[in-house]
Amino acid sequence: MQVTLQTIIGGISLGAVYALVALGFSLVYRTMGLVNFAHGNVVTVGAYLASTFYLSTKLPFALAMIVAIAVTGVIGLVIERVLRPLENKDFDLMLIGTIGFGIVLDALIIMIWGATGRAVPSPVAGAPIELFGLRIRTYDLVVLAIAALATVLLVLFLSRTKRGAAMQAVAMDHEAATAVGINVGRSNAIAFMVGAGLAALAGGLVGPLLYVSPTLGGALGIKGFAAAILGGFGSIPGAVVGGLAIGVLDSFAAGHFQGYSELVTFLVFTAIIMIRPTGVFGERTVNRA
Amino acid sequence: MKARTTMKAETLSVEGLTVHYGGVCAVRDVSFEVPAGEAVGVIGANGAGKTSTLKAVMGLVPRQAGALRFGDLDLSKVAARDMVRHGVGYVPEGRHVFAGLSVEKNLLLGAYAKPWKAATRQTLGEMYELFPVLGEMRGRLAGALSGGQQQMLAIGRALMSRPRLLLLDEPSMGLSPKLISEILVVLQRLRAEGLSMLLVEQNAKLTFEATSTCLVVENGIVAMTGPVSKLRHDPRVRRIYLGL
Amino acid sequence: MRIKIAVVAGLGVLAWLLPYTIDSYAIHVVNVIIIFALLAVGLGLAMGVAGQVNLAQVAFFGVGAYATAILTTRAGLGFWFAAVLAIVITVVIGLLVGTPALRVQSHYLGIVTLGLALAFTNWVTNAQIAGGAEGISAIPAPELPGVDLSSEYLFYYLELIVFALALAFGLFVVRTGLGRRMRAMRDDSLAAGALGAEVPLLRMTAFLLASVYGGVAGVLYAGLIRFVAPESFGIANMFLLLGMVIIGGRQSLIGCVTGAVALYLVRELLSDHPTYAQIGYGAVVVLVVVFAPTGLAGIPPRLRALRRSSGTAARLQPFQAYETDVSSDDATILAIDGISKHFRGLKALDDVSLSVATGEIRGIVGPNGSGKTTLFNVISGLYKPTAGRVEFGGRDMTNVTPYRLSRAGLSRTFQNLRLFGDLTVRENVLVALDRSRTLDSWQYVLAPWLVSARDRRLRAEAGAVLDRFGLVEFAGQAPKALPYGIQRRVEIARAVAARPGLLLLDEPAAGLNGEEVRQLGEMVRSIRDSGVTVVLIEHNMGLVMSLCEKVTVLAGGRIIAEGTPAHVAATPAVIEAYLGDVMEIPTEATR
Repeated sequence: MQVTLQTIIGGISLGAVYALVALGFSLVYRTMGLVNFAHGNVVTVGAYLASTFYLSTKLPFALAMIVAIAVTGVIGLVIERVLRPLENKDFDLMLIGTIGFGIVLDALIIMIWGATGRAVPSPVAGAPIELFGLRIRTYDLVVLAIAALATVLLVLFLSRTKRGAAMQAVAMDHEAATAVGINVGRSNAIAFMVGAGLAALAGGLVGPLLYVSPTLGGALGIKGFAAAILGGFGSIPGAVVGGLAIGVLDSFAAGHFQGYSELVTFLVFTAIIMIRPTGVFGERTVNRA
Repeated sequence: MKARTTMKAETLSVEGLTVHYGGVCAVRDVSFEVPAGEAVGVIGANGAGKTSTLKAVMGLVPRQAGALRFGDLDLSKVAARDMVRHGVGYVPEGRHVFAGLSVEKNLLLGAYAKPWKAATRQTLGEMYELFPVLGEMRGRLAGALSGGQQQMLAIGRALMSRPRLLLLDEPSMGLSPKLISEILVVLQRLRAEGLSMLLVEQNAKLTFEATSTCLVVENGIVAMTGPVSKLRHDPRVRRIYLGL
Repeated sequence: MRIKIAVVAGLGVLAWLLPYTIDSYAIHVVNVIIIFALLAVGLGLAMGVAGQVNLAQVAFFGVGAYATAILTTRAGLGFWFAAVLAIVITVVIGLLVGTPALRVQSHYLGIVTLGLALAFTNWVTNAQIAGGAEGISAIPAPELPGVDLSSEYLFYYLELIVFALALAFGLFVVRTGLGRRMRAMRDDSLAAGALGAEVPLLRMTAFLLASVYGGVAGVLYAGLIRFVAPESFGIANMFLLLGMVIIGGRQSLIGCVTGAVALYLVRELLSDHPTYAQIGYGAVVVLVVVFAPTGLAGIPPRLRALRRSSGTAARLQPFQAYETDVSSDDATILAIDGISKHFRGLKALDDVSLSVATGEIRGIVGPNGSGKTTLFNVISGLYKPTAGRVEFGGRDMTNVTPYRLSRAGLSRTFQNLRLFGDLTVRENVLVALDRSRTLDSWQYVLAPWLVSARDRRLRAEAGAVLDRFGLVEFAGQAPKALPYGIQRRVEIARAVAARPGLLLLDEPAAGLNGEEVRQLGEMVRSIRDSGVTVVLIEHNMGLVMSLCEKVTVLAGGRIIAEGTPAHVAATPAVIEAYLGDVMEIPTEATR
């Protein structure tokens, strides 16, 4: 029991990061109807930017993160602008276009930061907290708190602001959205920017948890995407639940299958998707002839 | 709603409107006018080019036009998303409400181009007065409404911007006769308040009730045009569109 | 044709002479390029032709290579025996990886296949038997009496022969029935199913083909490099492969090969600056999807289209009536009993029962949203009814898949036209004409002459169908570029080409002008006279009145009247519901 609980706790902080990555996927999907395959690479960029500002320029961790988020937001804007001709036209082509961007970003990362990785020391000092015999690292709590805050802010943005409502309206019906005066292109650009910002947040936070390397985002991106699908693609609570679930699944797999954890994680994920393709919070859509 | 006393006399005039979709000509050289405060109908069969005409006026599809003016304004230079800022509201075919958002959000988004302040709140109140059922359902997701309620919502959403010209695309689609008469009542009320309307419909009888002048569109061209009082007695119209 | 043969022969000679002109490093590069070209053809078949987003192609490659390595070094099998086993293993894995395609498509399938590919690299990196991160070295060279295949020059000829056969086979598949059916499924899986294409089986076939090509490439790779390690089969190479296919043009196998050659050469030229090369091809992928979505292969047809645009326009010919076949008996062909269909509480159909006699033309009318199309969708197997029974041709056909119904003699058109947009008009008809079973695709390997003979026969039949419907001049065109009225006719021709006993037409007159409606009436009557029962949904009351023997009126998901057109038109309930009370024309005085 104790071991199980410890495994769950171990999975939750990484799960929170997956949730943030999944939120980025879901936000872009919810507001544009697009799957951004470059999202994982943007996570890597964010991780490198945050760690660079934190380690080299000695900015405080929080400030380094904010700078990283701003820079990746601009990358998001660029991707959206280039692919805009395909918007609302060819979903699959646009998806491949984002893969192309991912390839470019990957190469840029290696050019700028080299092929070897770097370790980022934890920005919060202090021994792990002991609670009922469970060990919880303080940084894990920080990650959880930030992820929770980001989720709440995102939910508030989508549900309470005019811009948030308009962005969702664009994905539901871009023509009707245009007719009420919404600038669809600008809405999509903002969606991409916020999505990229979330990726940078996830990347920055995961730095001290994992080793920052060019392949970091690939793994995080795929698991984050899996999390988004598991929760029900496009659903904000789904992204959070899916992220935590993948994190815990990962942690269990690592505990029981050591090196084979990825294999087990993806096999379980595939099985779940085949049983319930629409995910936990997903809605079944009616196939119209 | 309050009478629109501050209205400028604005006529929508369309000359030589043509729409192509990838080599296929959907609308060819269509011309008509919607004088200020008048209601004009466009009837025709499925695929005759009615919806394309309306979308072209709105700027939602690429268009070529000799002239497209609303009062003093050259609409051919105005992007679709800015039409609402020039007083043109649009009710799309098949309703197209924002299904995953609440009824109230849908209505508020209708006033997207305006600040969501007191004036907009007041307009919202007027909408709930005009469509009491929307008031009862304000917290529900628009996608959960019935077809008739969604149509009311789509009209309400377009009215939220306080347009001076309303473009309506098949508001009767898929509605029962009882609901169609309710829609008709709303349209007649709006017309009495002096709102200019361009109504595209398959249902000729509804159109004849709601408008004063009508175009009959066939194969992308205007086959006939005239006052409703005349078209109603035209033997061809009676046979093809009224089924008499 | 003669030019084509000459070009192929010329290329063959050049390929045969190539080793004499290049050094040992260059021949190595060429050998690797051929392997990538094989992989690209496999990916092109799955993704470009069949529309299955397969991001595990590089894992299939890895399975083939690793299986060869393990079987030769660990189990001590001979190379050729190991090679055959390796391909079998790859196919089994390929089919397993493809199973999710039965449930999910598009980006969902992409992530699942990508995840499974990662699972594969994860396994080989850790498994003792696969040599872990170091991989497996000292794989024996394939032995062939009298030929030393450890020489890269001689290995080239082995690769060349395998590649030529594989490419020829791929092209053969694409240009005959199986490929046509897969392309139809890619363009519109719903319509393909309704025309008898076994969609689940075709999706698995796509993965089968992809894994065969992946496995063969893997075997050749193991024999060539004689060393396997995890990084050769990672995500980076998957995306490189994807880039090859997209840049070359995914819908054309030749394009895929061109893309593979071009991209690999670029990578090789920039091998001292791999990151620049990567930026380069990533950027090219982006530019291609935005500016030339059909890739390099799409450029020649585009140029040709530009040149030809001023040619004479094709014209629609009149429909030629069928011979009358008056052998109709009075049996019931379609019997619907108590069908209900609910969508999340909405009763789209509520206890609907009706029966249609063989040889009848039945009209179904009703206001928009009254459940007419839902009824068609239930009859044709697209929807499972919530309750009730559908009997077709005397057999219970409730919950039978659309393709089985199609094979049992049911055919339909769709309200919003579902033509296969990237197939020509002729191919649209061919898909319907081809009644062979996908399971018979073993003939492609064991008896290809049967396949070609059948295809020739089908082409002749397609010519006859197009001729009858006056569409001959449009045969080579893509339907999406045709005027609406002609597209409608193509869809009817396609539905009739499936030789149905029962034809369902969903608003066939929608969007047609008076003359076209008259022609449609003639066409439908003649189709019926040839022995096909017709049920049509229609709003054009004039057409319904003149054409149908019996009319069923739906309103709110229920049948409110049934009988002869005249009888139905006079029923008060119909006037109330369909014609409606607003429809009463008030005299001028009431206004």
